[in-house]
Amino acid sequence: MSERVRVLVVDDSALMRKLISQILVRDSDIEVVGTAMDGAFGLKKIEELAPQVVTLDLEMPRMDGMETLRQITRRFRIPVIVVSAHTTDGASATFKALALGALDFVAKPRDAASAHMEEIAADLISKIKVAAKTRVGQSQVLPNEEPTRTANKPAYRPRQEPTKVVAVGVSTGGPMALQYMLSELPGDFPGSIVVVQHMPEGFTEMFARRLNECCAIDVKEAQSGDLLIAGRALICPGNRHMKVRRMPMGNIVVLSDDARVNGHRPSVDVLFRSVAAEFGSRGIGVLMTGMGDDGAFGLGLLKTAGALTIAQSEESCVVFGMPKAAIERGYAMRVVPLDMLSNTLTIQCSPERAARIAQV
Amino acid sequence: MSFFSDERASELRELFFESATELLQNLNEEGLELEKHPGDPEIIRQVRRTVHTLKGDSAACGYQELSELAHQLEDVLTAEMAESANGSIADVVLIAADTFSSMLSAYRGNMQAPAGEELRQQIMSLAQKPVPTNGGNGGPYKLHARFAWSEYEHMVMEDALGRGETVFNIAFAFEQNCPMRGAAMQLVRNVLQECGRLLAIVPDQSTLTNDLDVVEAAIATAHDQEWIEKKCRIPSVVSSLLVEQCVFNGDGSDDVLDIVKHVTAELVEDVEPQIRAEEIIAPVAPPSTTPKNFQNGPGSGHPQNGAPAAATTQPSPKPPASVPAAAVPAEAQTGLSSIPETLLRVDAERIDAVLNLVGELIIGKSMMHQSVNEFDKRFPKDPLRMKFADAMAFQSRIINDLQKSVMKIRMVPVEQLFRRFPRVVRDVAKSCGKDVTLVMSGQDTDLDKSILDMLAEPLAHLVRNAVDHGIESAPERINGGKPAQGTVRLDAYHQGNQIVIEVADDGRGIDRDKLLRKAVEQGIIKAADAQSLSDSDASNLVFHPGLSTAEQVTAISGRGMGMDIVKTVLERLKGTVSIRTSPGKGTTFLLKVPLTLAIIKALLFRVGQRTYAVPLASVIEIARATPNDIHVVDHHDVLQLRHEILTLVHLSKIANQPAAGKRMFIVVISMGDRKFGLVVDRLVGEEELVIKALDDNLVATDLVSGASILGDGTVVLILNIASIISRMGRMHKMIGATA
Repeated sequence: MSERVRVLVVDDSALMRKLISQILVRDSDIEVVGTAMDGAFGLKKIEELAPQVVTLDLEMPRMDGMETLRQITRRFRIPVIVVSAHTTDGASATFKALALGALDFVAKPRDAASAHMEEIAADLISKIKVAAKTRVGQSQVLPNEEPTRTANKPAYRPRQEPTKVVAVGVSTGGPMALQYMLSELPGDFPGSIVVVQHMPEGFTEMFARRLNECCAIDVKEAQSGDLLIAGRALICPGNRHMKVRRMPMGNIVVLSDDARVNGHRPSVDVLFRSVAAEFGSRGIGVLMTGMGDDGAFGLGLLKTAGALTIAQSEESCVVFGMPKAAIERGYAMRVVPLDMLSNTLTIQCSPERAARIAQV
Repeated sequence: MSFFSDERASELRELFFESATELLQNLNEEGLELEKHPGDPEIIRQVRRTVHTLKGDSAACGYQELSELAHQLEDVLTAEMAESANGSIADVVLIAADTFSSMLSAYRGNMQAPAGEELRQQIMSLAQKPVPTNGGNGGPYKLHARFAWSEYEHMVMEDALGRGETVFNIAFAFEQNCPMRGAAMQLVRNVLQECGRLLAIVPDQSTLTNDLDVVEAAIATAHDQEWIEKKCRIPSVVSSLLVEQCVFNGDGSDDVLDIVKHVTAELVEDVEPQIRAEEIIAPVAPPSTTPKNFQNGPGSGHPQNGAPAAATTQPSPKPPASVPAAAVPAEAQTGLSSIPETLLRVDAERIDAVLNLVGELIIGKSMMHQSVNEFDKRFPKDPLRMKFADAMAFQSRIINDLQKSVMKIRMVPVEQLFRRFPRVVRDVAKSCGKDVTLVMSGQDTDLDKSILDMLAEPLAHLVRNAVDHGIESAPERINGGKPAQGTVRLDAYHQGNQIVIEVADDGRGIDRDKLLRKAVEQGIIKAADAQSLSDSDASNLVFHPGLSTAEQVTAISGRGMGMDIVKTVLERLKGTVSIRTSPGKGTTFLLKVPLTLAIIKALLFRVGQRTYAVPLASVIEIARATPNDIHVVDHHDVLQLRHEILTLVHLSKIANQPAAGKRMFIVVISMGDRKFGLVVDRLVGEEELVIKALDDNLVATDLVSGASILGDGTVVLILNIASIISRMGRMHKMIGATA
């Protein structure tokens, strides 16, 4: 990148403006061209300074973050990264913001003195760089601007052993892609889905709740001991690892606080590895949009174990990092665009096909 | 390894403290506002936002305790709660402001932050609303067992029930001083296994910690409840026990997923109206609207301000959540153009540096002025004269403007100081059980920031005093024919080159006799002198250190030191303080301070060989006199000026200069509400002086408050009038004693 990424920081706290600016100053490819203390100033500065990326706090006086975001996406089409508070309300607002067109979010920096900061900084910097390359309104398959489609849930869902266990790994660009894919699945989807989405602690619960509202299948933040059942997706909570385990009376997920893998917790590799070990050919691995290569190795393990492995196609990814890593290593048996993923999964999980594979 | 360099980190911390102080001030104001309008949802939203920002900022700086407390507070401050709770929210907010503030100062001093236990409890008590559901388990036991079994554990338990076994939920609380929790845990496990088949236990080995208090377990057994309870009471390990039989609804259709769904539905119901109420600013649901209605027609009766999240598990047609697009952008546009962002944070030192240079410029200006004057005299016919004069006039205008502009940078509205007093008055009034209102005016009067900062303490003292001592108790007031509610008034206004700040109360006034009696008791004045003191001299006794008319010392005031502080600070500021009091009507303190400390208008005069200056603001008039006009009364030299008797101060005596000449000038100075005459030899003129602080090592006297340099290089000493007068008093006393 020859030119530096021009960033505008919008936050009502002077401290946060300074902190975020100082974080970004450390990266020579990024330039903070300005800061604004509320939405109205933010919009004005966008006009003046023409930044490439905006970081936005959602909780602000005068014009609040949500309204600011609407105006930015409508009038300027600049990618926005939401800087979000660690609260239930904060998470809720964050997902609303993502639905309104915010590209991504980071957790509000905490504890400037600790090593924790390093992570947040790396996260923010990488997301800004990704955002700079993204054109808002690019021909990605994204849900409608207001994605709150009516969830057509079945009135009664019998507890059924799933035909397949679908393990999904996803990172940057994930929330929207995942929402798109899961909301396309039918209510009687016969597979069970386990998802690792790289996301900070405190956001996954709201994320799962939101997905549950707009999907025909059930979506739930995973708890240790939750059962793998047909027609349900379990989302791994932030800052935990998730594994699957076969138990005498059913199959469950187990959460743990083990060390980070590939710099991530949750790590896609951890999930994929356990699915490969416990379910073998009954598993399906899906590696979707995201930076880095978490999950690529695990996808290889799944392939070796006889499971079907799928990578999201480049043109439908916000960031073609993780899928690319898997494809390059030859671990992806199929490369499927986002809008075809749900179909592919439905077909692969159908009882007939599952039975046929079981016979082979 | 820290992420930021030390310098960066401390810069951030500074910024944090600065903005946190501001936030706390806001919190105080919002708390007071909330006290006036309890339950106003808009104010609660403001409080929430303030606390939210404080939380985020303190978390960013790693101040965990503060951030957590703020978080707790933020969580309970919902619009919903504003309705249900009463005035106590305001109290909690104010307590929070205090707690946060003491935490801040602890952080600032690198000390352990106070725990804020009181606040935490207050928050808890706010948060405790009647919870109809899921609170039932605890029952008569202190033990709060949740028995939150996972889906798998549920399934296992159901399975056992299905096979006709009895399932019990058991919770143990460990004895507080039970050592070795790990071993105790093993003991519990053994007992449980004796009782039956262990289906589930929390915590299991993997999550066992040392500070573990409660163990929850589920067993399938053939024994009855009594037997199990007996078995499980392990002496000196288990302090309390809860055993309850676990019954699932018999028919098999009640499966886990339904429970899950039920729970999430409940959650959604619980949370959604709340979120919505926060989004839609004003109208809270009309009383008849139950959450059910909300669910059926989301936001039907409300202006749609935010996009309501899909709320229900029930599919229901929702209106597209759109913005009222027509109105908002227009509003935003006008907002945009009208308020430009013009705030700059500048280090005070930098401004001082500029101010210093401007000071030098002013000296330069008067040098130039003198040279031009000389040139004038020497070449009165030279046409160049006019050119010089024009250039001079132009230059001095610019310099004047420049000086004013720089001074303005340092100027801040008095409001910054005043805004903390509503809280002070409220607290003091509350603690001494009085009803007092504070009326403020003139908040937009500008004053030099450094002066303002120094005035904070004296003003706080005067305000506290006014409430605690000045204002009488309500019955006393009513007896005196006054309204029960006392009034304290704060006012600020310009008077020439000075700012006057008035602190007035409509209370009992200062009791002259009591004051004099105390003063005599403490040997401050002689009993004989007591009656001859003028009223203003008498009231001025309150400034004497250690003198207090309060009968008891309270936490708020009464030690008699406060007034001394007031006086000392004002003297340091080259200001004055005076009192007006009338018994039964009230007391007014007038603080007069110069607009700024750096540049003053001064009157220059000569005594002997030296040039001195006094601030022009304190000069009332100048009179001429001959030695014949001066009389001696009670060892004081006095001069009759029109109808007044003026006490004279001979600077020549103080400065040990020979008194010169027969004719002299009397510079009449006001000091508080008293007047004095300074006897000087010759007047020099009026000049703007740039005050240079004097090193204490150079000048070992408090008679001089500063020095300045004139255009011709002459050094001028600026007299500290207050100490000259008190010195004069002492000299006379000595003379009186020897005579």
